[in-house]
This record gives sequence, C-alpha cells and structure tokens, in this order.
Amino acid sequence: MESYTYVNIFETKGLEYLLLICFLVLFIFLVRYLASPLPAKEQAGKE
Amino acid sequence: MHDENKKGRSFADIIRFILQEMKPRGKFLTPFNVISIVVIIAGVIILTVRFIYGLGSVSNLNQEYPWGLWKGFNVITGVAFAGGAYVLTFVVYVMGVEKYHSIVRVTVLNGLLAYIFYAGALILDLGRPWNIINPIIGNDFGYNSVLFLVAWHFMLYMIAEFIEFSPVAAEWLNLEKAKKVLQMLTLGAVIFGITLSSLHQSGLGALFLMAKSKIHPLWYTEFIPLLFLVSSIFAGISMVIFEGTISHRVFREQIGPDGKSSFDQIVFGLAKGAAIAMFVYYFFKLLVFIHEHHWQHIHGFWGFWYLFEIIGLVLVPCFLFAYGARHRIIGVIRIAAILTLIGIIVNRLNISMIAYNWNVVDRYYPSWMEYVVSFTVIFAEIWVFRWIVTRMPVYEKHTKPAMA
Amino acid sequence: MNRRGFLKLAGTVGATLAAKKAKARDNDDEKEEFVGVLTDTTRCIGCRTCEVACAEAHGLPVPDVQNDGALEAERRTSDTQWTVVNRYETDEGDVFVKKQCMHCWQPGCTAACLTNAMYKTHAGPVIWRSDKCMGCRYCMISCPFEIPKFEYDSWNPKIHKCNMCWERLQEGQKPACVDACPTDALMFGRKRELMEVARVRIYNHPQKYVHQVYGEHEVGGTGWLYLSSVPFEQLGFRTDLGTTPYPDYTREFLYAVPVVLFAVPAFLLGLRFLSENEEELEEGESHA
Ligand code: SF4
Ligand code: SF4
Repeated sequence: MESYTYVNIFETKGLEYLLLICFLVLFIFLVRYLASPLPAKEQAGKE
Repeated sequence: MHDENKKGRSFADIIRFILQEMKPRGKFLTPFNVISIVVIIAGVIILTVRFIYGLGSVSNLNQEYPWGLWKGFNVITGVAFAGGAYVLTFVVYVMGVEKYHSIVRVTVLNGLLAYIFYAGALILDLGRPWNIINPIIGNDFGYNSVLFLVAWHFMLYMIAEFIEFSPVAAEWLNLEKAKKVLQMLTLGAVIFGITLSSLHQSGLGALFLMAKSKIHPLWYTEFIPLLFLVSSIFAGISMVIFEGTISHRVFREQIGPDGKSSFDQIVFGLAKGAAIAMFVYYFFKLLVFIHEHHWQHIHGFWGFWYLFEIIGLVLVPCFLFAYGARHRIIGVIRIAAILTLIGIIVNRLNISMIAYNWNVVDRYYPSWMEYVVSFTVIFAEIWVFRWIVTRMPVYEKHTKPAMA
Repeated sequence: MNRRGFLKLAGTVGATLAAKKAKARDNDDEKEEFVGVLTDTTRCIGCRTCEVACAEAHGLPVPDVQNDGALEAERRTSDTQWTVVNRYETDEGDVFVKKQCMHCWQPGCTAACLTNAMYKTHAGPVIWRSDKCMGCRYCMISCPFEIPKFEYDSWNPKIHKCNMCWERLQEGQKPACVDACPTDALMFGRKRELMEVARVRIYNHPQKYVHQVYGEHEVGGTGWLYLSSVPFEQLGFRTDLGTTPYPDYTREFLYAVPVVLFAVPAFLLGLRFLSENEEELEEGESHA
C-alpha cells in the first residue's frame, strides 16, 4: 500500500550533510592528535 | 654452491625432508597441547556423528536459524579477522612502506591458514558437501547469488595468498630458482588478492541483504557490505596486533631481540591506522543511523545492545588506539585491540545470529558441541601455524636454509 | 528493465527464433505468462483436504486431519509439510488460511542459490533440484516468507518446499491441492486471469472483502494470491515486506563486482608505480 502515499527518500539528507561537516572537523582534530610529536616530558621517559 | 647442491637433490629428497620435518619438536606435554588435543579429538568425534546423522544431531540449528555458530563465527568473523593480510600487503607492496615488511610473511601465513580452515568450516556446515563442486564445474553457475561470488573469491584468494606465501616455502626447501619465479608472481598475487578481498569482505555482508525482513532494523541496512569492508580493515589490524603479541611470547627464539623492539614500533603505526579506520567506521554507522531513521528503535534491550556495540566496542577502542599511539603505551593498544576483536565478533554475530530473527520466540543458542567444533577449527589452525612457523623462515628474513 | 530481463536480453532474440522453429522444445526457452493460484480465504472451511492431497502427491507423511488437532496452534510449513492450514480468530470469526511457498515472481531463494538448485521455471513455479543443491541453506536466509525447510536429521538432507506440483503441471494437470479443495477456495490459472477474478469478486462484494489482493505487489508480485475478509495482518501475513523484489537488494552489489574487478587492480598498480621510483621497485621485488 506504500505506493499510494508520498515517500520522501531524501528526508534526512540535510542532517546527513551536517553530520559530514562534524565528521570532517573532528577528523582533522584526530589526525592532528595522532600526528603531533610526543610531549617532551613523556619523550624523556620513553627513551 | 647452491647450484651444486641442487643438482644432487631429487624430488624424493624433498619428500624425505618434508617427512622428516613432520616430527614434532620441543616439549610435547604443554597445557596448550593437552587442551587442544582433547578438544580436537572431541571435535572429530562430533563431526563424525554430524556426517552420519545430520546437522541436527549435534547442532541447535533449526528452521528459523539456518545459519549458526559455524557460519556466523568461524566463517564470517574469521574471515574479517583475516583481513590483516590484504591491509598489510597493500601497505607494504603497493604503498611501499618498508617499516611493516618484517610482519608481512607471518600475516600472509595467518591469512592463508584462516581461509583454508574457515572455508573448511563452511564445508562442515553444508548439508550436501559433495555437491560443493557444482558451482565450480557449472552445475549450475548461480551468477545471481552473492554466495556464488563469495565462494569463488574464497577459492581464488586462497590461491593468491598461497602464491604470496610460497617464496617462504621455497626458501625452506632451499629451492632458489623456484623462489625467484614465485617472487616475480608476488606483486600480481598481491594486487589480485587485495581486489578479491575488498569484494568478498563486503560480499559476506551482502549475503544478508536479502534477510531484510529478519534482521533487526538497527542492524539491517543497505550499507552492510560497505560496513563489513571498512570494519574488516581494523579487525585485521587488531588481529595482527593481538596475534603478534602472543607470537612474540611463544616464538621468542624465532623472532630474536631486535624483532621485539621493531615490532613495538610497528604496533604504534598499526594503532594509528586502526584508530582512523574505526573513526570513519563510527561515523559511517551514524550516517546509516540518521539515514534510516534508526532513532525510533533506540529503546529496550535492542537499543541498549546496539549502543553498547557502537560506543563500547567501536568508539571506545578507537580512542584507546589513538591514545595508546600518541602516548606510546603498548598496554593500552593491546586492550584496544582486544576490545575491537570482541566488537567485531559481536557485530558479525549480531547480524548472523543475535539480531537475526530477533522476534522469534524459540531463540537459537549454539549447543556445546557446536562450540567444541568451533574451537577444533581454531586449534587445528594454530597447530598448523605453529608447525610452519617453527620450520619455515616466517619471522627471519635471511636464515640458514633448513635443508642444505 | 529488471535483472533477470537484463541477463536474458542476449538470449531473447535467438530464443524467439528458435521457438518458432521447434515449438515447446524446451519449456524454458519460451516466454510464458506466469501461472499461480488464487486463495479465497472467505471460502476456506479449514478441512485440510489440501494438506492431505499435497502429502499424497509428494510422498510425505499424510496428516490425520480428523484427530491431530493441528488447528489449535499456528503452524509453519516444515520438512514434512509443504503446506499447512491455520485458523485465525478475527473480527469476522474464524478464518482459515492455507500457507505454502508464494512462488514469487522474482524470488529471493533462487537469487540466493549458488547452484541454481532453487529454480524459477519460466511457467512460474519455483522448484528445487536435488542433484544441484549443496545444502548451504542460503535460500532459507533469503526467502522473505521463510518457506524453504531443511532436513536437519539426515546425512543427505533435502530442501522441502511447495513446487506448485510442477510434475503435475507438466502433464497438463492442476496442482493437487487445487483439485482436492471441496469449496473451490483455490483457483489455478495465469496470474493475469486470477487478478481479474479477484478484482471482480471484490467489486461484486465490496463489503465482504478487504480491497487488497495479497501477492499482487508484495515483494514484486507473487504467483500465489490471497483474498480476505479481514486485514491481512490478522491472518499472520507480513504486510511490512514492501513491493521491492528481493533480488533487487543485492543487485547493486552484484553490479559493482565487475566494475571493482576492472578498476581496482589498475588503480593499485598505478599507486604502486607512484609510490616508488624505478630502482626501489626492482629492489623491492628482489627481497619480497
Ligand atoms: S516464497 Fe520463498 S521459497 Fe517461495 S518463491 Fe518466494 S522466496 Fe522462494
Ligand atoms: S540450500 Fe540448496 S537450494 Fe538452498 S541455496 Fe543452498 S544450494 Fe541452493
């Protein structure tokens, strides 16, 4: 019966794009976190 | 010098050498050996019963749950764990990152054995296993089937993995010429293998696309194949870390002291990769969550179980990996790897067993005999793995050939 | 164009030519309209004669319909019962519903089968062929109605499900259950005709029937059709299956396979060349 009513398959697209933007921002933080050098204090401990 | 040696060696010599290598080495009555032998014997007995009296005589499979522990755990989860082989061969042979070269051999070996044993588990699960040749010989080719694709890919991938590993075996048998030839095939096998992997890792997920009416809506999505593919990346990496940690205890002599410190460096690199893959996977899950209006299902047991899976077993280990890699704490990474592996098991079992036919009254719980057979498969694999590692130059790159 | 149609496209031209020369040489080379069965649940009296006829026609254990009290609980088809009749208590009193394979137009089970043991004949019935089946039970996973059943207690297990009496149809007979039904609750014919009959009945008795024929569009249309006096949810039917044929759910994945196999190896090789210069490349291979 679903064929007799309007179904919007793009209903959540706006939210999805918002999520994407959040992801990209957070992803930059994650990558910077991983790529940053070891803090000097800990470096000393590890060597 | 090698050449002179080779002239003197016939095929019979090689066979004799292999037979002589079959003998066990080292202490025999270790706790692991005792437990695993008991389990394997029990497993073989159970399987005998299974092939005489049918699947129902040993398993709790029923008409509502046609696929149980053997397919859900051994095949579907096992293959995800074997994903490390394609990830590492990609990094080393395609991207040319030499840092990881030292663990490629052992990872490929693990992948190869995983496929042999887990595809083997698939055969145990078939009702009419002698007909397994049908889709191969064309009686009939069911091109329309995802399982057809997966079955063929398993087979082809095993060949690719075998070629990737074969130089090691050739080195062990001291067949220099054969090794040269086989090495030339490596790049081709690697590229072919990665392609096949991406298809059958996602294919295992695609198997469940037609179970739409049965899987709980929180887990069913048209993106299952992609989710399976992405999660196989960090599943494989976690397995490499986990397995490497154990191997470095057990096979200390083979690996040597400098192998240890370089392995720690490798683990930090792998952890970064895993953290990023998991982060992407987590957002992918969120995207599906929004796209398919899943918030309306977040209540009761299933809502809790779902949140537990994606937060407790994806997001948390993701951060642990990142933290461990950043602060160089190997213990944190190990915990993250174990959590991730549990997460993969939970996810794969959710789709194939737990959230499958979630509203059926008589739920399926594997029988103890199914567990025994599952462990039989795993232990048998470990035995073969150990046999190969203690004989072939899997860990060391340049060794004295065993057979001179 | 659907997937089946797409695959057959190449064969169609040749097949029609051949069919003109040698008529009905092989049933499967011909385009036929599907046959099916229309079940009018308002006519069913729950006598279960169809169950008996089915069991006799296929060598299954014949149920003792007088004394086994099977109507008390809802049953599913099983590896010894290809069809079952259930009783449902509804607003309109007791309603009896015969359940069996729906003979989908585009069945999930045949799309799942990697040996084509589960096979959609071109006349409509979906049949199972024992010489091909390897017992993987993927058809059971993929059937939206959970119809195929497996013999768990046999060393040489079979898949059991209704085959619309394919062996009788080939001899020009009707399915055994249709022949046996004493109240004409079952009607055999081409789906186009059956739909006409169903619509006429609804049109003539608009109060009696719900205005829906179950199976007209469900999972892309099925060969077996149902008329009812109460909403189908009350009769144990799944009304949430949608109208998409089940094979469609795997279509995109399967279409992507050749694309991936073309593109990824080339892409990987390209990456490999980009990531190393010439000398390294040679060196890398020599100590692989
Ligand atoms: S109802 Fe199930 S078994 Fe019957 S044709 Fe449809 S998918 Fe196949
Ligand atoms: S169990 Fe048999 S009929 Fe069903 S999908 Fe597997 S091979 Fe095909």
